[in-house]
Amino acid sequence: MQPDTNSLQRNEFVVRKEQLYRALIAGCGILTILVTVGIVLSLSGKAFTFWANVSPIEFFTGTKWSPIISQSYGVLPLVSGTLIVTFFSALIALPVGLAAAIYLSEYASERARSILKPALEILAGVPTVIYGYMALVYITPLVDSVLPLSVRVLPPGLPVVPEFTFIMPSLRTFNALSASIVVGIMIIPMVSSISEDALSSVPDSLREAAYGLGSTKFDVSTKVVVPAATSGVVASYVLALSRAIGETMAVTMAMGMSPQMPYFPNVLRNLAESSQTMTAAIVQIAGADQTPGATYEAMFAIAMTLFVITLGMNVLAELVRRHFREVYE
Amino acid sequence: MAAEEDTASQLRQTSRLRFEHLKGRLFEAGLVGATLLGIVSLLVLFGYIAFDAFRPLTASVRWYLLYFGTLVTPTAAFTLYARRRPAVRAANARAFAVILGGLTVSCVSYVVAEALSPYDIFVYALFGGVPPILVALYGRTTDDNSYIGPAIPVSILVGFGVANLFYGTIRPLVDILARWITYFGVVTVPVAVIMGVVVSRRWSRQRGLYAAGAVIVTSLLVAVGGIALGIDPSFWIVLSSALVLPTVYVVGETVATDPEGRIGVLGPFVVIGGIVVGAVLERQLGIEGLESYVTPTLLLTSWNGLDAGQAGVYPQIVGSIIIVGFMALLAFPVGVGAAVYLEEYAASTGWSGRLAALLEVNISNLAGVPSVVYGILGLALFRNTLGFGTGVVISAAGTLGLLILPIVVVSAQEALRSVPDSLRQASYGMGASRWQTLRNVVLPEAVPGILTGTILALARAIGETAPLVIIAVATTKYSPPEGIFSSATALPLQIFAARSNVSAAFRHGVVPATAVVLLTLMLVMNTAAIVIRNRYESDN
Repeated sequence: MQPDTNSLQRNEFVVRKEQLYRALIAGCGILTILVTVGIVLSLSGKAFTFWANVSPIEFFTGTKWSPIISQSYGVLPLVSGTLIVTFFSALIALPVGLAAAIYLSEYASERARSILKPALEILAGVPTVIYGYMALVYITPLVDSVLPLSVRVLPPGLPVVPEFTFIMPSLRTFNALSASIVVGIMIIPMVSSISEDALSSVPDSLREAAYGLGSTKFDVSTKVVVPAATSGVVASYVLALSRAIGETMAVTMAMGMSPQMPYFPNVLRNLAESSQTMTAAIVQIAGADQTPGATYEAMFAIAMTLFVITLGMNVLAELVRRHFREVYE
Repeated sequence: MAAEEDTASQLRQTSRLRFEHLKGRLFEAGLVGATLLGIVSLLVLFGYIAFDAFRPLTASVRWYLLYFGTLVTPTAAFTLYARRRPAVRAANARAFAVILGGLTVSCVSYVVAEALSPYDIFVYALFGGVPPILVALYGRTTDDNSYIGPAIPVSILVGFGVANLFYGTIRPLVDILARWITYFGVVTVPVAVIMGVVVSRRWSRQRGLYAAGAVIVTSLLVAVGGIALGIDPSFWIVLSSALVLPTVYVVGETVATDPEGRIGVLGPFVVIGGIVVGAVLERQLGIEGLESYVTPTLLLTSWNGLDAGQAGVYPQIVGSIIIVGFMALLAFPVGVGAAVYLEEYAASTGWSGRLAALLEVNISNLAGVPSVVYGILGLALFRNTLGFGTGVVISAAGTLGLLILPIVVVSAQEALRSVPDSLRQASYGMGASRWQTLRNVVLPEAVPGILTGTILALARAIGETAPLVIIAVATTKYSPPEGIFSSATALPLQIFAARSNVSAAFRHGVVPATAVVLLTLMLVMNTAAIVIRNRYESDN
């Protein structure tokens, strides 16, 4: 609502002052656009210098990442490390987060919700460096002593071929399992809070109609409310995965810095071994070597890849969410 | 036959219902379990950290009994008493707030001034503070005060500019002053002004003057006493003006005006008294206390990577506070400005509308960019483009400021949106301009909401590590930063750096204790945000 300022015959100075403040405030807004431009420029400049020296084909299809020792810049081991953590943390966070969202939106009393919701949000607020430390110092020994999978099932004397024995070897000091567990815990609130918004905005008339047909609460929740909120739930999943991909400190500390291609077909072995994510590789390069050169520029190339992936996922989540908004408004 | 079939189908029906019922119950139990899973596992992990940091098994049973008697029982009894009396509870909360707030303000301002040199802060406070006061006083004397509003920030900037320009000649002059005089100027005078304004709004102008005078006289007395005893009174001046006098005022006011809740002011003193009495008895009786790693040594000395007993995180704490403080100075005005533009100025059509739509999309995208990418932006912007040194305060603060900008914008937008439109219409109806409406009506209403969001963003920034690692903030620096172009270190970085230390005393002692310090800082900020939000909600 624009008040009609002309009819009020304002002092000319006041009018000019208004314009000045307006320009100042709009400038603050424009600064946020400049931040994005800055990110894109600062990443792409160095990244394209890198891709001029090391061919993008080699970068995106190479299976060896060893920038400092042998100058091999294949990003696939880092991508696979990232995907392992993302996949296994999603295995924890997506079902748990959705279940928490259903509980908070459909079952919990007002009082329970007022306690549980902030409590869940604390999970996301704990510094990730503390999560990483917990994973390294507490979770790895704990899980290693609990997991009974390191027992040899083959009779002694036969050699163990790790690729074809579907048992989990004992955990290394740095391993993907602990990293996945903490990243999973960390992204639960993201799934639960966005999904809960989606579930609560399903109109009550749908629930009432289902109850009127004699449905139980279980049926209403699983067959009516959740399907009706699918797009919101999917959007929360995409955002949580994007967060897991960009997560840095926890995976650097818990998963270590030894990039390798995944083991097939024994996928469990991937969890027990150390690996490296894209973010951890950036931290390693930044910590080791800040002199101009191919390795330093490789850091920008990885960051650019990471930025494009997470940007794509965030846009996707926004598109899905917009679709979901259209349904009920 | 028919009857038998009926019974059979009825039986089937009931067992089916039972099964449905069971399924529903199991489902609900599963949901509760899932909701609690993350919370419980986090509590277990916190338990591990707290166990390693505090080492509760090192204390004797007598120690526990002692503190149970002096601290736990009286506090519990007081809480039980206050629980059903709202007036007592309110007075208790006020007393706790003023004591904790005063303690935080005095410690933070003393520590920051000590790190950055109190003389420098005094110079800038003098030159940044006096011109706007002169301008405001001039504004009182003239009728045409349309220039006064814009002139105040300009005068502050001019003051800073003059201070910077003549720093070389002013600083030696200021150096003649005793250290306590600089603290008197930096802490006591503002506290006196604030107390004066608060008291004169609440009571009368005359009492306001008395209150401000009391602050100044008390501080001078403390200074005289300190000099007579031969100690540097700086810290005591800060403590008396920012903690003792506000506490005396709040306690005195509550006792004088609130007969129902007056007992409530005892709350914090029960807790503090319990701790003091416990500590005295512990020493007197020679009781074996906790051999915790969270000790004054940890908080007040610098990191020693070899000897766990001597390890401290003082430079890290100060570094974190200074980085986050400058970050707030940079991000807060810009974030609030962007939010104001989006909520109050941008139209939904025309170029302004298109700009607003672009901003909205952009801010939601910025919120999703991984923090490590912000680190690279900071590296490229502050080190490579602007040429600042490696890991200096200003680069760290700038990088984190860009990182939390979208959070500040979104929370400020929400706060502005919750201001009812009728208030704006009423203000316009009185003939106020858009800026006047914003300044006098909308922003004051939205301030608590904006503050809540900003404090939460600060709490997040204090734990951020990845961007600081990327812009090469030092982990091997053993003194606090001395200025904004001085290299700094931060608490979370020390935890990251200590991951490779395999010595048990560090791995299961000093590092968990450092984590406890970091979590406490975060918790204090989050509590502050929640307190502000609750107050705000109860006001509405």
